[in-house]
Parts: sequence; structure tokens; C-alpha cells
Amino acid sequence: MHIVVCLKQVPRDNSVKIRPDLTIDAEGIEKIINLFDEYALEEGIRWNEQHGGKVTALSIGTSDWVEQLRRALAMGATDALLLSDPAFTQLDPIAAARVAAAAIRKLGDVDLVITGRNSTDDESGAFAPALARLLGWPQVTYVGKVLELQPGGILKVERHLESVIETVACRLPAVMSVIKDINEPRYPSLLKIKRVAKVEPPVWTAADLGLSTADLTPTAQLVERVPPPPRPKGEIIDGPDAATKVRKLVDKLLEYQVI
Amino acid sequence: MNGVLVVLEAVGDDLAAISRELLGKGRQLADALGGSLAALAIGPTKAIAARAGNFGADQIYTVDAPALRQYTTDGYVAAALAAVKAFHPTLILAGTSFQMRDFGAALATDLGAGLVVDATDIQVVDGAIQATRPSHGGNVINTYRFATGTPVVALVRKQSFPEAVAQPDRSAPITELTVAELTPRTEVLSVAPKAGAVNLTDAAIIVTGGRGLGNKENYYRLIPPLAEALGGAYGASRAIVDDGWVPYEHQVGQTGKTVSPKLYIAAGVSGAIQHLAGMRTSRTIVAINKDPEAPIFRIATLGVVGDVNEILPLLTEEIKARLNR
Repeated sequence: MHIVVCLKQVPRDNSVKIRPDLTIDAEGIEKIINLFDEYALEEGIRWNEQHGGKVTALSIGTSDWVEQLRRALAMGATDALLLSDPAFTQLDPIAAARVAAAAIRKLGDVDLVITGRNSTDDESGAFAPALARLLGWPQVTYVGKVLELQPGGILKVERHLESVIETVACRLPAVMSVIKDINEPRYPSLLKIKRVAKVEPPVWTAADLGLSTADLTPTAQLVERVPPPPRPKGEIIDGPDAATKVRKLVDKLLEYQVI
Repeated sequence: MNGVLVVLEAVGDDLAAISRELLGKGRQLADALGGSLAALAIGPTKAIAARAGNFGADQIYTVDAPALRQYTTDGYVAAALAAVKAFHPTLILAGTSFQMRDFGAALATDLGAGLVVDATDIQVVDGAIQATRPSHGGNVINTYRFATGTPVVALVRKQSFPEAVAQPDRSAPITELTVAELTPRTEVLSVAPKAGAVNLTDAAIIVTGGRGLGNKENYYRLIPPLAEALGGAYGASRAIVDDGWVPYEHQVGQTGKTVSPKLYIAAGVSGAIQHLAGMRTSRTIVAINKDPEAPIFRIATLGVVGDVNEILPLLTEEIKARLNR
């Protein structure tokens, strides 16, 4: 069985700045595997431990993303693959899915793609559905539990939505996105981290994937990117004791008509 | 191309609030585009389709089939494609739920359309669709302009627009569309309500507790009763979810839920950047914390410096007394 896990590198927190050319400046913020993708990776590794075969960590990014792919290998991925090209720098989620789909087709023998429900920086959750449609495979998103996964057969999962849990089945190959609740990702041991420290994963470019500029052009043009409007200046409620403060607070809440 | 198509959602036997918002905004955008406003009811939503006429739709489409009784990506995309073929919309609007994210991204991919998820504003500027959406936990607000000539699928964040006002005398013609040979590749085996489900995203008032409460017992002794007195829901910071005090379901923040209630009370929550990401657009934010330097005070509308264990019981009592609860 061949499982591909799609990983995105993101800043650890979102205290990013905006450059004059409207690109995001995450300088000085530690780069990590998108949290939800780490759950996807753990799920892929667990099923690989059960069924054997391969679990490939795949990422789209510049050469410094190799760091996250090495971490994936240290956690238990059997293979890593970096899709890297200057043409990949400003991909929207559907174009990113187009790049990943081309790589998955080129790999040829993939049974299941797992990824996080969304990235913590872009937050759209569009990548997994777009990838499934481009591959022509069924999709199961927001999965909180895999009930059954048979190589060459059935995938049966629980989708954890806002207020219901759906149990859904489909045939492989398929694309699955996972939520945080699905498992507890392992910490790679120091020994394993050392063992993969010098691994150089293969790198595929746009040309290797047969992608043209038209495949990668975003459907929309970014015209403005600004920080959120500042919140109106707040007010500290003072008083000689807790009871007075509480009374004044409730006065204000009534005045604001929020209770 | 022809105007705006709103994908309807039902709650019980009524139009969902988000659908009324989308019909209101859709009306305005259709007028700006010089087109008409259509609504699409898929599967069981057909029962309330006619209501869209009261709220401004010029044309209503329904698509029903046994395979559409439950949501599947294939079924809903096929139904939407039938409506696109009939109406040729410039803009397709739906809400931003998990199910609609699954649907909207798939539909946009199939159509080769533009896509915006979690839009908080949509405008027509010089004939082109422009959409604004937050990213990076609300720290970045992006505005995109879409090329004309290609349709756009926009998923809209709840409570971004005022709801359309009902016009009881108004109605719109209903056209039934069909989809041929629909066999979704995913099979829904069961749908069960989530045990102890909390729809934080829909709550008008949220009371959130953090590590400042000291322990799990204090959380349950103080936070749910205050939420209940206010008729609201209760949330939790990531720190106490990770420590196992409260289920993940309640987590507010970058890796939990993004909420925007009219009142958000943060008690014993320091205000880590990843928490602020999930609640900073709340209308009124109350912070209660013993540390006057806690970052939460920087975005709070009202702040109380003090011990949550002393203040919360008093606050719950005061609210019950003043609201006669």
C-alpha cells in the first residue's frame, strides 16, 4: 500500500508582517509542519505500520522545507519528495493541488492521500477537495477516525462535522483530510533525527511534472493585504472590591446591549 | 453570465440564517452585476425553497433525487453543475461550514472557477468580483480581484452581512432540475448527533476559561454556570484542552474554532496569539485576569483585573439577578 501525506510548512504562530510588495514576512518565526498535517502524517505512519508498503511525505516549497521532510522521515515516513520550482512560490490552494496531483500521478501507485483539514496560515481547507477532484478520486474530509482501511479495497471513516458525525465509506484510491482529534502524533527520537539529518529527498520541478504557467496562475489577483483594523481602545473597570467591579461590568454589558 | 446563485441551507423547516444573509448580499451584488438572483435548493432543502422568493430571489432551482437525501461531494457538485448549466452564474454563494468547504472547493475545481473561502466582504468593482478574506488567524486581511469571464465560488463567513428582510408578498418561479445517473462514490452509512455537541461558531455569547482558573474542577464549577446564566456556550483555551481539562470540541483559537460572537468573556485566559486568532473579531470582548499585563487586555473592550475564582461566582449571581434568571 502506498500512502502519500501532503505537508505544508507554516510559521509556528501567525504574528507575521506584510511586506510592501504584499508578500507575507514570517522572518524570525520558527517554521514547523502545519499542525493538522502532522496528524495526517501520524495517521499515514500508523496504517503503514499495519499494512506495510510506503508512506511518502510530499511537500511543495523551497529547499529549506527539506527540514520538515526530514522530520517526517524521522517520525516514520519511508520516503520524502519535494516539489520545488520558482514557479511554485505564489500558488493558490487549487494550483497547489494541481502541482500535488501531477506528482501523485507521476508516482503512479498511490492508494491514499492524507493531509490536514487546512493549513494554519491560509486556513481555506480547499487543498484536499481540489486534489481529489483533479485526481478524479473520492474525498473524505474532516476525518476524526479511520474505521477501516483495506489495501485495494475500502476506506471507512468518521467525518467529524460541527454538530454531527457522519460514517462514510468509499473505495480506494481516495483523498482524506484529518482533524486534530484523530491521533496523538509521536515525537521522533533523537537517534532517528540524526539518522535522517543528511537525507536529500528527490526534488521535482514544474518541468518534471509537465506543468505549464497556465496551470499555476492564480485565479485571482491580490489587490490589498492589510493588518486587521485596530480594536477600539478598551476600558479597565476599577473599583474598591470585586463586587463593585462586577456590578459596573454588568452595567456596561447592559448598556452595550450584549446581554 | 447571469448574476448570482445562492446555495440554500435549511435549519429545521426554515431557511438558515446564513442563507438569508446570502440572499440579501446576493440581491445587492446581482444588481451591481446587472444580472438576476437565483437560489438553489439541493435534496431535502427543496421543502423550503419557495422561501427564497420572499427573501429576494428572482428564480429558484431545485434538484432532488434519492442520492441527494444526504450530503455527498459528488451529489452536491452534480446538483450545482446542473444549476450552473441552467443559469450561468457569475458568482456562486454558499456559507462557510465544513460541509460547504468540502463542496465549494470541489465545485470551483470542476468549474475551473475562482474560489474564496471564509469571505467577510464581497464587492463588484468595475464589473469584477472582489472578495475579502482573513488569513493567518485574522492577522492578515486579504482582498482579491477575480478575472471577469470565469465564475467565482465564494464561501461566506457567517454573520458577515445583514439578513435579507422577508417580503411576504414576493415570490419567485421554481424550476425543477434533474441530474442523470447519480451514483456518489462516497456512501453515507450513518449520521449521528455529536455527543455533547457545542456549536460554538453559532453562539451569540461565549464564556471561555483558561489556565488562570487553576484546575479542571474550578473550570466546571465557574465557566459553564456563567455561560448558562447568559444563555451562551462555553469555550476553552488550547492550554487546558491539551491538559485534558476540557474536550477539544470547546477549543477556541487557531487550531480550534474561530468564533465571532456578540459577547466573548475570556476568564483566566492570558491571550496567546493563537487564541486571539480565534476570537478577535468578537463584538464585545471582556477579559478577566489577575495579571494586568496579560495580552488579552490589549484587545479587550472591557477588562477586569482580579482573581477569576473570586469574580466569576459574583458575576454569575449578578447576571442572574439583573436578568431575572
